[in-house]
Amino acid sequence: MGALLATPRGWVESLGTLVKFFGRVVGEVLGLRVLRFFGEALRQAGILILSSALVIWSLCFIIGLQCGIEGAYFNRSVGSPAYAGVFAAWCDLRELIPYAFAYMMAAKVGTGIVAELGSMRISDEIDALEVMGISSMTFLCATRLLAAWMVLPFVYIAGIGVGFLASYIAVVQQIAEVSAGGFSLIFWMFQNPPDLLYSLIKAMSMATIIVLVGCYYGYNAGGGPVGVGTATAKSMVVNIVLVHLLGMLGTQVFWGANPRAPIGG
Amino acid sequence: MMILTGKTIVSALRPPYPYGGEFISQFLFALRLCWFPLLVSTVAFGYGAPGLQAANFLVLFGALDRLGGFFVLASIREFAPVVTSIVLAGVAGTAITADLGARKIREELDALQVLGVDPVKNLVVPRFLALMLVTGLFDVYALLFGIFGGVLATLVNGAPLGPFWATFFTNASTVDLWGSVLKCTGFGAIIAIVCCYKGMTASGGAEGVGRAVNQAVVIAFLGVFSFNYVFTQTLLATHPEILAIR
Repeated sequence: MGALLATPRGWVESLGTLVKFFGRVVGEVLGLRVLRFFGEALRQAGILILSSALVIWSLCFIIGLQCGIEGAYFNRSVGSPAYAGVFAAWCDLRELIPYAFAYMMAAKVGTGIVAELGSMRISDEIDALEVMGISSMTFLCATRLLAAWMVLPFVYIAGIGVGFLASYIAVVQQIAEVSAGGFSLIFWMFQNPPDLLYSLIKAMSMATIIVLVGCYYGYNAGGGPVGVGTATAKSMVVNIVLVHLLGMLGTQVFWGANPRAPIGG
Repeated sequence: MMILTGKTIVSALRPPYPYGGEFISQFLFALRLCWFPLLVSTVAFGYGAPGLQAANFLVLFGALDRLGGFFVLASIREFAPVVTSIVLAGVAGTAITADLGARKIREELDALQVLGVDPVKNLVVPRFLALMLVTGLFDVYALLFGIFGGVLATLVNGAPLGPFWATFFTNASTVDLWGSVLKCTGFGAIIAIVCCYKGMTASGGAEGVGRAVNQAVVIAFLGVFSFNYVFTQTLLATHPEILAIR
């Protein structure tokens, strides 16, 4: 029992240091000290676009297909195949695309940052930066956060588009029980710009947390090559739990009291 | 990776079977690592995504009792296996890759081979079997807590639980349950093979291990979701009776 409870207890302990680290990095970005290294931030943004965007979109695509077929079969079973668009709109926009985005962010970008910063830490490159008079926290962590904030909203919105396209393919082309026009009518009726904004806020808060967790575990890695691997694995655990909690919180705050659906009064 | 899969299955079946102890320790390792993240994730997911959103939708029609029936579709068929596989890949899978990768770059795997110990039989096979078993079992655990999330959503809406359970049990079918568990076992196999392969082919020092973990998670996620799509599609198309709303 003691061994079982050791994990959660360790988490509570490390939560404090985690929050302190987050505060410092966010302070560096919002205090505009990061602008001294704007070139580095742009380079990180380029890396995000070139190496991660496509992988994120491919997961969004698969999830969109999934939503599409589940929605189409469910609506067929209640005798309203024409309403498959509701399922596609809600499932994609509100819940699953943010989750898919966050999962892939955690897997690709989060662990990537840990691996990169971790190997810098254990080969003493971070200490070398400090010796040269460059604030390593600003140069390594704050630039990555700024890059994420600059690029990811657009990557995310494109991801939603990819998910919608996949749902359309699954519902209209594959299952083929509703016409393209009928799908579009219902699909656009059941969403509006505030929904997109809420979904964006939800996904961006997840992405921020993922980048910060990645920076924390990479920056504080130790214990040789094995340590980098363990830190990478650990960051993934923390990311998964935080992503799910944020997802639940976002749903509760944005849609918990108001379903925002064009039905009834 | 396909070659590794073939080798793993062949050497799992062919005697002798020296991997019993390692199998048990890996099984307990995955169990100890995953139970808490999985608990938090499934309750949060079950409460947020299918719970609140579907409850919102159903409340508009005054048909909140149908939430139980919806949870059969949402939790058993989709979310429980998917969330289980995400957590297992992210937690146990990454740990396996980090472990095997570290052994690879410290040349322990080569040393094993020199000693005449087959790394596939003694390291990969127990992890493969343990992860498959543990993912299948965790699916049931995820189901319970996912439905607990649904119960929370019902209670938040101030509705009684009796109708929730009534529609839940009339809509639940054994096909759904075995489909879910089978799917999840398949996920476990994918995760184990990808993570072992990436760990055993890690190279290039510290950064290599980190990069191996990174690639392992990405490939495992994509593999799991693609398999999920194909499996769900096949299950829904071949068993139309599970779609009937009762």
